[in-house]
Amino acid sequence: MNRQNATAGLGLAGLLVLASFTNYVAIAEAGEFGRLVDGKGAEETYYACTGCHSDMLVAQQGLSRERWDELIDWMIEEQGMAEIERGERELILDYLSRNYGPDRPNFPLK
Amino acid sequence: MSKDDKPTEGMGLHEFFAKDPIAADRAFFGRISNTDRRGFLRGAGLATMAAMVGANIPFHRNMPAGFIPAAFASEDVLQGKDGLKLFNDRPVNAETPAHLLDDPITPTSRHFIRNNGVPPEDADPAKWRVKIDGEVDNELDLSIDDLKNQFEVVTMALVIECGGNGRAYFDPPASGNQWTVGAVGCANWTGVRLKDVLTKAGLKSSAVYTGHEGADMHLSGDPDKKPISRGVPIAKAMADDVLIAFQMNDGPIHPMNGAPLRLVVPGWPGSCSQKWLTRIWVRDKVHDGEKMTGTSYRVPNRQVAPGEKVATEDFVIIERMPVKSIITFPENNASVEGETEVRGHAWSGDRTIDALDISIDFGATWQRANLDKPVNSGAWQNWRANVKFPKPGYYEVWARATDSEGVAQPFAVDWNPKGYTNNMMHRVAVRVS
Repeated sequence: MNRQNATAGLGLAGLLVLASFTNYVAIAEAGEFGRLVDGKGAEETYYACTGCHSDMLVAQQGLSRERWDELIDWMIEEQGMAEIERGERELILDYLSRNYGPDRPNFPLK
Repeated sequence: MSKDDKPTEGMGLHEFFAKDPIAADRAFFGRISNTDRRGFLRGAGLATMAAMVGANIPFHRNMPAGFIPAAFASEDVLQGKDGLKLFNDRPVNAETPAHLLDDPITPTSRHFIRNNGVPPEDADPAKWRVKIDGEVDNELDLSIDDLKNQFEVVTMALVIECGGNGRAYFDPPASGNQWTVGAVGCANWTGVRLKDVLTKAGLKSSAVYTGHEGADMHLSGDPDKKPISRGVPIAKAMADDVLIAFQMNDGPIHPMNGAPLRLVVPGWPGSCSQKWLTRIWVRDKVHDGEKMTGTSYRVPNRQVAPGEKVATEDFVIIERMPVKSIITFPENNASVEGETEVRGHAWSGDRTIDALDISIDFGATWQRANLDKPVNSGAWQNWRANVKFPKPGYYEVWARATDSEGVAQPFAVDWNPKGYTNNMMHRVAVRVS
């Protein structure tokens, strides 16, 4: 078994331990950025959101770009979220509305 | 890697780490030394560890390889719960699948969890205090023993339902946890009546509303912010079925359900039932704490079209929760032969249920179920019916409750922007052979 496969094998086994250990069956499905699907802006979105709350909350939503924008305003104004630099905010809004829009292409509860 | 090195299912975390800390670290949290600018913990690993310790970890880059956070003494956020579906691990939000709500009284292990912040680490009942202040003649500062010694202790079966239960069915979707049907429970709660405590404190004529505070921490970790602080009008606070509770189903309250002390305000949004209760602040105006204002736990003051924009000033606070029922047997997609018992619960905030009807033909005809009276005010009502299916095939069993004001459940979602109070009929699929 080459090194890469060995690591992958251990990773899967580790997740099995995690699943039995925590009952978090859901997290066994997590990828590089938790429950967030891969794509441009996934990393920025992940780090902007998970400072305060789980990515699991993000991955359940299905909101328009405008609603996501309002929600980020609410989190900054009411919930102590740090301001996001304009370019990064646009990137995050593009990512969220593309992957977690009202048509729910990645809805985990389907 | 040899086969023997593979951790087996059921192997403990500490045992796994003891064998080979570096490998365990990589497997468990994806933590690898000398990687990119994000440091040791990346992606799912950082999220997992943050979820498990219950907060963001500002200095995670400094944690040595193979390090197990001390907070892992209580690793499992759903410890003591049985079969709940986890929607969110920080804050913890988990609902009970409908068929696991079958008991007439919800066991502690099957009561849903809706946290807004991080539960307190120290929940020692011997040291717990609750303060009653604001528009009262005599401020009170009470231990749990004081509550037991100074007031009548009562046990009541009381419904707690999350205001957002049923949000998953909104179209367009509403933001928040996508609860389906199981963010509801009816456990036996033991405590003292809030009414008796407020009467002892002596309500001033200026008292209008309660403001509830708890010991949980805001998700941002900011000690000056509260995750949630809601309240109820004085008339509701003085109802006979509103308790300050210190026991759940004759045992300790589950840590995620507010141990050691919480409010239970049956029939109103669960957020009124403050967990980890430390203060009842009697207000001279409608309480303006966290999630009382803006559009939180509020609905438009009129019917609106799905997706309609509603001005913030047109939102009103949700008070009682609407008439609703749930089918707990058979389970969705069950296979039956010819006939089956169908059973479940029904409730309506501040009201009782007069009738429960079942349909197996998509609502064309209805059959009345046998309905129990509530065991006490604030409890749900259990019901059952024997249902015969005319021939093999696919059926849906629908349940429709009608309350003491003659109001019945609708078929469709009464859409509102924040996804609250969805009381549409519950439907389960049955395959008959």
